[in-house]
Amino acid sequence: MQSAIHILICCNDERGFAENMVEIKNLTKYYGTHPAVQDISFTVGDHEVLGFLGPNGAGKSTTMNMITGCLPSTSGTVLVDGHDIAKDPIAVKRKIGYLPEIPPVYPDMRVYDYLTFAAGLKGIPRTERKKQVAHAMERLHITDVQKRIIGNLSKGYRQRVGFAMALLGSPKFLILDEPTVGLDPTQVMEVRRLIQDLAQEHTIIFSTHILAEVTAVCERVVIINKGQIRAVDTIANLEASVGGDLHLRLKIEGEITKVTEIVRNTEGVLSVDDVEFDSQGINAFTVTVASESVRKPLMSRLIAEDCMVLEITSVKSSLEDVFVKLTAPTREQTREEAFEELGKEMDAQREAEEAAKNAAANADENEKEAKD
Amino acid sequence: MFSLYKKEVQSYFCSPFAYVVSALFLMVFSLSFINGISNMDSNVMKFSFSNIFYNSFFYFIFLIPLLTMRTFAEERKSKTETLWLSAPITITQVVFAKFFAAATVFLLMMAFSLFFPLVAFLHGSVIGSSLVCGYLGFFLWSLVCIAIGVMISAMTDNPIIAAVLGEASMIVIVFLDNFTQSDLIQSLPPVAKVFTWFSTEARFGAFSQGLFSLADLVFFISITLVVLIWTIIIIEKRRWSRG
Repeated sequence: MQSAIHILICCNDERGFAENMVEIKNLTKYYGTHPAVQDISFTVGDHEVLGFLGPNGAGKSTTMNMITGCLPSTSGTVLVDGHDIAKDPIAVKRKIGYLPEIPPVYPDMRVYDYLTFAAGLKGIPRTERKKQVAHAMERLHITDVQKRIIGNLSKGYRQRVGFAMALLGSPKFLILDEPTVGLDPTQVMEVRRLIQDLAQEHTIIFSTHILAEVTAVCERVVIINKGQIRAVDTIANLEASVGGDLHLRLKIEGEITKVTEIVRNTEGVLSVDDVEFDSQGINAFTVTVASESVRKPLMSRLIAEDCMVLEITSVKSSLEDVFVKLTAPTREQTREEAFEELGKEMDAQREAEEAAKNAAANADENEKEAKD
Repeated sequence: MFSLYKKEVQSYFCSPFAYVVSALFLMVFSLSFINGISNMDSNVMKFSFSNIFYNSFFYFIFLIPLLTMRTFAEERKSKTETLWLSAPITITQVVFAKFFAAATVFLLMMAFSLFFPLVAFLHGSVIGSSLVCGYLGFFLWSLVCIAIGVMISAMTDNPIIAAVLGEASMIVIVFLDNFTQSDLIQSLPPVAKVFTWFSTEARFGAFSQGLFSLADLVFFISITLVVLIWTIIIIEKRRWSRG
């Protein structure tokens, strides 16, 4: 009866996250007294591709090592398909294919021998090994290098051999730790396509710090920083949460402090985020506004104050903004001050230049007068 | 577990490693053989192979850390250990697979050396009991040494350090018996007794005389098991504290 319901659910919604494949609860890891991962909880649904985001050293690899059972957790549980990694590690490991950051390949073995060995290690019956290995090699396009010694292969190929290893035994659950690091752009595209392909049959968690990759492959992301979860949501929701406010990019001719004053005091402008030097006297301002309708009053005020607006474009916020906002909260606080300082500096520089010009002109006039 | 064992044995022979160590082993063996024949007591006219083991075990024992130094240290260095850490096998299986692989390679090396008794048998006579017991005793003793070598390899991520520490512990094993015989230890009977329990050389001596004792067999096997269990604990411990 239960299985019948299960089938019904699956038929109704093929890609629905009806059941939780992986459930991570309050996972914590201390290295001595240093907390590497603190109180992480999230779930991954069936056939879902979950992106695991974070800057370098955020605890991505530690978390993945804990999910795969390579590393015991200080506290918290990982449930894979109902099995607890701490209580029944063998059952969990049977369901998981893991590609660590550094592919665990033996440099003195041949590709085919290595994969056959890994298949044996994963407990695949002898009769099926050959078929499985051939299938995995085909998927990763490494059939033509199967007789070569792994140590002589390039990094991209080694990565693919590791990937093929993870696929052996067609585990329900794939954990990929930065699978595209060290690959060339075409290979990166291939791996992304492969991940999308694999999502038909597997549940995938993959970590990365390349944001474009996540946007291309995942539906949902977990963002962690300094061992703590910052966000767990779909990409669309995350973008909406930050992208609620619009950004405008303005190219304006005029003194920075003056322009900033005007822009900031216009109704509907929330903040001035960034200023970049464009050319002599012209600067590009990035402004957060409440709505598009701010454009008109902003323009008229600027023109009234004799500031030439050369360009105005709207900037869409992306996952990148979410990432920066969530992983660098301390920088955000000092940003305003830093920005003001920068503006004053640039103005001072311009004034100094003008003063020098005037001085030079005065000197010329003086010379002329002296001659007369 | 069998896959891992097979791969480990293969990896010894994939590199020139096993061949070089075997060659060194056979060189020492043949030199002791020549030495043994030339020094033979002409009244007996029977060749006892255990003398070779007993007189030159010193050199043989030092080959073992070379065999075992890479077992865990190399994997840790190249980060390949995640392969078997994430595979559905237990650490106990991994330790035993690696231990048996090293033991197999050593057994093969000893098998190569059977050539010498064969020649001696064809052209003279050999004391059979001491030959068989000598080989058996030597193999049992080497099992203890291999287990210790594997344990030391699990402690470090540098094969060279594993080899050096392994050699150092081999020296301790070899000289433990001499140490036990020293006046200082003999003056403290309880201490001497404990040391004698753990002295492997005396037990090996009995084997090489052609005497087979069940107590000695149990001793060697239980010491091997204890060391292997320590190895498992060391790896588990490291898994917990890895940074």
